[in-house]
Amino acid sequence: MTSTLTPPTGTGSGDDDRPPRESRLTWRQRVSRFDVKASPYAYVAPFFLLFGIVGLFPLAYTFWVSLFDWDLLKGQGDFVGMDNFWAILNDRFFWNSIRNTISIFLLSAIPQLAMALLLAYLLDQGLRAKTFWRMSILLPYVVTPVAVAIIFSSVFNEADGLVNNLLNLVGIPDQQWKHDTFLSHIAIASMVNWRWTGYNTLILLAAMQAVPRDLYESAAIDGAGAARRFFSVTIPSIRPTLIFVVITATIGGLQIFTEPRLFDVSNAGGIGGADRQFQTTVLFMWELAFFRRDFGEASAVAWLLFLLIVAFGLVNFLLSRRVATGDARGGRRAARRAARKGADA
Amino acid sequence: MKLSRHTKVAAAVAGAASVALLASACSSGGGTDDAASDEPITLTITTFGTFGYDDLYEQYMEENPNITIEATNIDTGGNARTDAFTKIAAGSGLSDIVAIEEGWLGSIMEVSDTFVDLRDFGIEDRSGDWVDWKYAQATDADGRVIGYGTDIGPEGLCYNGVLFEEAGLPSDRAEVAELIDGDWEHFFDVGRDYQEATGKAWYDHSGFVWNAMVNQLDEGYYTADGDLNVEGNAELQERFELLGAATEDGLSAAQAAWDWNGGKSFVDGTFATFVCPGWMLGVVQGNTEAGGGDATTGWDFADVFPGGAANWGGAFLAVPETSEHQAAAAALADWLTQPEQQVAQFEAAGTFPSTVGAQDELAANPTPNEFFNDAPVGEILAGRSVGVVAQFKGPDDSVIQENVFGPPLQKLDRGEVSTQEAWDEAIVLLDELVG
Repeated sequence: MTSTLTPPTGTGSGDDDRPPRESRLTWRQRVSRFDVKASPYAYVAPFFLLFGIVGLFPLAYTFWVSLFDWDLLKGQGDFVGMDNFWAILNDRFFWNSIRNTISIFLLSAIPQLAMALLLAYLLDQGLRAKTFWRMSILLPYVVTPVAVAIIFSSVFNEADGLVNNLLNLVGIPDQQWKHDTFLSHIAIASMVNWRWTGYNTLILLAAMQAVPRDLYESAAIDGAGAARRFFSVTIPSIRPTLIFVVITATIGGLQIFTEPRLFDVSNAGGIGGADRQFQTTVLFMWELAFFRRDFGEASAVAWLLFLLIVAFGLVNFLLSRRVATGDARGGRRAARRAARKGADA
Repeated sequence: MKLSRHTKVAAAVAGAASVALLASACSSGGGTDDAASDEPITLTITTFGTFGYDDLYEQYMEENPNITIEATNIDTGGNARTDAFTKIAAGSGLSDIVAIEEGWLGSIMEVSDTFVDLRDFGIEDRSGDWVDWKYAQATDADGRVIGYGTDIGPEGLCYNGVLFEEAGLPSDRAEVAELIDGDWEHFFDVGRDYQEATGKAWYDHSGFVWNAMVNQLDEGYYTADGDLNVEGNAELQERFELLGAATEDGLSAAQAAWDWNGGKSFVDGTFATFVCPGWMLGVVQGNTEAGGGDATTGWDFADVFPGGAANWGGAFLAVPETSEHQAAAAALADWLTQPEQQVAQFEAAGTFPSTVGAQDELAANPTPNEFFNDAPVGEILAGRSVGVVAQFKGPDDSVIQENVFGPPLQKLDRGEVSTQEAWDEAIVLLDELVG
């Protein structure tokens, strides 16, 4: 922005009058120019300052810690270079935690976003008592993750939790929600979904409401059914928001900790089940740092997780952009066609 | 639009609140180190589990009007460990008095200079109050003493008299003591009889039994010199095989510890015995009541423990160097661990005292515990504490207990692995996690 607004300076400009004219500016004018140029940076500076203190510095410091033998209690030890990283990359529990994290992430993110889209679409229709519905859908988000985890932990209790009791009613025997790997992932994903679906719904709803209504009208006149309108008008129009939601869901999903930590009360060491069947990467990091007291390796895990999240975020960004753009072209064309037809008629 | 204005108001309120928090966080502090003065002092204390201190705090504040006690109690010792470790690592945030559990005292001893030397506050004059091993446990390699001993964990056997009767076993606590008296093999053999008669499990899960079996040895996961002592430790492996054979015979109820199906397993006869250090009595009662049971459920407490005397747990009160009121904090910790207060603590929470005076008091004045079928638990525990010597706890003791032996034992309980496989897995885990 700035570069296009500021007139080009230097010898290349060929404008000989410029330097003298600048010197002719009064003090006031110069201050005012400076104000225009510099103020925006001053306004955004607090954010970057804060980000530097609470974001960038810890990131860099974590990397620093990861280069040392670092005991939680005793503090900094010998410099070991990248040894902590190699140790982690050769640790079967690290890879186990990555598998669990990705599995839980996929089990939560996909149904959650699909559900949120559908709910947002429904809420976008003319409903009575709109605010009531919208607020109700956000309610689970208000509950702290700890409470959610404790309640769901009881709901998925194997001996006589609610879920198994309901399953028994329809003739299905008790399921091993806390011992079976896949079932425990489903149980944890359901906690995430319960809490986050409403939040994502509201964000998507806000975006949907910004879609010009005439697009729908034209599409409808053009003979597009509800499903066609949803996929060809709604989805492409809310693309930026959709990308935002997907990326925040990715970041959140890969950092999942509270739910697996509290899903199994009997293992104090934070291993996520006797076979580490639901130990996520953050939980593994927690075990390393606060139970096994190996801060160096835990910091290495933190960095590897950071890189993984960046990688996932990029893949998601590209994927969701491609998906949405593919539809968008068709959608826009359809809308334009519809608009043209409307004008012709 | 209305919504966005609300959001702004909310944001402003949140902002103001956080500023206020910051301000108050900064303003706390200052103060003097002079316990004798009457200047108002606020002391913070962090305990865990059932400590039974609430009434004692009230009493102390009444007797010392300038002292205000702000107490925090953390649900389990494991979580208290995390809390303390994190704050030691951060270099701030520890309360003026921190309760330290015996199981992770070994780790704390590696950084014992985080806590003040209580000899500066006269603990040496009281050293004769405690059983000598308790005082020795709180003394580091340099001779600094960092903790006032609160309780110790002599172990007796909790058993369900109603279930014993149904199985045709004696239910009277003296007869039960006679029946069980012997080594672990004998304990498991009685369990096999019970299991044959009823088809039900004998103990709740292997982890606690294993803990008791290890704690009973002169040297556990570490030698007294501090060397790892698991691989090639024939005594340990022999005990593991005994436990494994019993578990394979169906003596374990494969319960999830600290949950026990919301306490219901204590009520519905899932298991008939439970290893009970003094402080566990409160846990048994609490869980039975949470599961809908009461004194009629049948839990009782016998003066016997397989393999002889054993200790599990017990705690210390330490004062961190970061405390701004070290003298006042030490005075409170000192008071809380006096024999008289230890008796009160026992009455509130069942924690068995570590001072000789309080132990004698409990032995001399047996008060029946209503919940445990009127068993004189204080007298019984006093008997159980005879011959108890605490084992040396190494820096990774709790990791070995929880993360090395815990998982294979759970799988053994569920019949997923054999005893040999469980032991092998524990050794592999030991290499990976501690080695």
